[in-house]
Amino acid sequence: MTATLAESATIAVGTCLDRTTAAQLLTELDRQFRDRPQRLVLDLGQVATFDSAGLSTVVEGMRRAREQGVEVRLRGLSQPMLDFFSLVSIDRLAGKPPPVLDKPNPIERLGALVEPKLDGLVGVLRTAGEVLQAITVGPFRGQKLRLDRTAMEIDHCAGGALPIILLIAFLLGLILAMQAWVQLRIFGCEIYVADMVGVSVMSEIGPLMTAIALAARSGSSNAAQLGSMVVGEEIDALKQMGIRPTGFLVVPKVLACAVSAIMLTVIFDVVGICGGALFAWGVADIEFLAFAAQLKQALHLSDFAFATVKSLTFGAIVGVVGCSLGLRVQGGSEGVGRATTNAVVLGIFLIIVIDAVFVTFQRLVLS
Amino acid sequence: MTTQEPFSFTIPQPPAQKPNAVPQRRQTDDLMRAVALTSIFGERMVLQGIDLAIRRGEVFVVMGPSGCGKTTLLRHLCGLLAPSLGAVTIDGQDVYRASPDQLQALRRRTGLSFQGGALLGSLTVIENVMLPLRENTDLPERVIEATARMKLEMVGLLHAAHLLPSSLSGGMKKRAAIARAIALDPEIVFFDEPSAGLDPITAAEVDNLICKLNKVFGITMVVVTHDLPSAYEIADRIVVLLDGKVAALGPRDDVWNSPDPRIRDFIERRMNEASGRGMDVATLMEI
Repeated sequence: MTATLAESATIAVGTCLDRTTAAQLLTELDRQFRDRPQRLVLDLGQVATFDSAGLSTVVEGMRRAREQGVEVRLRGLSQPMLDFFSLVSIDRLAGKPPPVLDKPNPIERLGALVEPKLDGLVGVLRTAGEVLQAITVGPFRGQKLRLDRTAMEIDHCAGGALPIILLIAFLLGLILAMQAWVQLRIFGCEIYVADMVGVSVMSEIGPLMTAIALAARSGSSNAAQLGSMVVGEEIDALKQMGIRPTGFLVVPKVLACAVSAIMLTVIFDVVGICGGALFAWGVADIEFLAFAAQLKQALHLSDFAFATVKSLTFGAIVGVVGCSLGLRVQGGSEGVGRATTNAVVLGIFLIIVIDAVFVTFQRLVLS
Repeated sequence: MTTQEPFSFTIPQPPAQKPNAVPQRRQTDDLMRAVALTSIFGERMVLQGIDLAIRRGEVFVVMGPSGCGKTTLLRHLCGLLAPSLGAVTIDGQDVYRASPDQLQALRRRTGLSFQGGALLGSLTVIENVMLPLRENTDLPERVIEATARMKLEMVGLLHAAHLLPSSLSGGMKKRAAIARAIALDPEIVFFDEPSAGLDPITAAEVDNLICKLNKVFGITMVVVTHDLPSAYEIADRIVVLLDGKVAALGPRDDVWNSPDPRIRDFIERRMNEASGRGMDVATLMEI
């Protein structure tokens, strides 16, 4: 395939210059360049069939040659090849590829890691502010609260989540009672199973599990929906028509999440306690009436009020986080995926943090 | 490898060296045929028995008003959507009766440029063009990149190679999609509305590009469009679809000079009086 002269090398390409022989030609070119000739002649006179991969290999060779200061000449170009090359500029193709961006230094990398998270959090706070403004001040400034859309969203949010909430509430009540009974039995005070189930379900497990289920179901779906609307320019269309996306989309969703959280938490509490009572009656031989009487002593109205405020906050957080991340989607379908994941992760994270604050306030400051 | 013919360009003078190179004799043969293509969605019959043949190396334009079934026909032809009835053949091979492997091989011989580009948003422009090469060939990475750069240079997009699709204009997206469609040197390239949403100058550039690729590489082009000037500019043969039926089929000038009143209405852009958007309010006016 080759004939090497003193200072000029010639590569005679065979009859076929296509994707089956491109790799071979590339190796041959690399070999020739190692000898550092001054001049390289590519003889294409024999070529009968070619494709763009083959000719690209030739161009790649010319690029290498330019890099190393080797002069390249093409010989025996056929008319079809000239036609092919008439569509491109060898000069541009064999020119330097655009410089690869410098690797960022550690501080820049840290910044690139942290900045989007901070951006997300700031965005969430801003959306929360806008929603609060739209709910409190908006109605007095002629911005209607979209209760019709809120009702529709509640149907999606609470109605859809009901079966799963019923199931996990019942099972968790049962599990808690079981775990508590095993420990309390040692001291012969099985009746306190009622305290255990009642207090933990009502003040902690109920609001928390409901909020997590909502984050997974509604937070993610809100983020995905608004995100695809951003990608499809639907949000821009709404803005252009003079419809505020906050009032039209975000506020109903946030309200729906908050209201659904309260409704589902109440249902969770009732069903969870029923599950506990069922276990107590069936296995631990505690009559329903005794269980109920014990429960009455253990639970206070203030606990219920606290739990309700807590679920309201959790629901609002889920709504705001999902909508905020959805509205700030960048970069097409991949961005939508990222926003959906982040809506669940950031949602659950914020819920736990706020829960810690709530419990600290309730148990340490108030009592 | 596959049963696919590795290559689309054959040079006329020397005898073909590769045993599976395209024989000259077939140069004028029909490359694709659609036989009695019928497409039913629910209650609606979108295509009603379309028969047509696409010849090797021609620019075949599918025209018709919106909703006449153009895009459905394209999706049937390019192997994305099985018709309710009828068959599509490429080189005598039935696309919808082929085994998955055969279908894959047939698809590799075709390229499709989608209306909105359909570039993968997470990859840069050049990565989008390199993707079919990477997945379907075992070329060295450097050759793949050089090939992708060459395709981008052909469509005049080399300067934008490392941008993400989201930062491209509509015309650039379309050209990038064309670069991706021709990445594997296909024999047939399908275009869905290549000039839709483009300014006249960019649209003319895209038309020009389609013609050049057809002339230089002999790629068979199937172009769906409702842009009349562009269709006249590029077409060798034209089919006009009206209400899911072939209203006219033939060389460009025959169709353009067709005496059929429906074709005349379409080509001279007259509103069809039967569409009911006349001045029938006049009948209700009190005089």
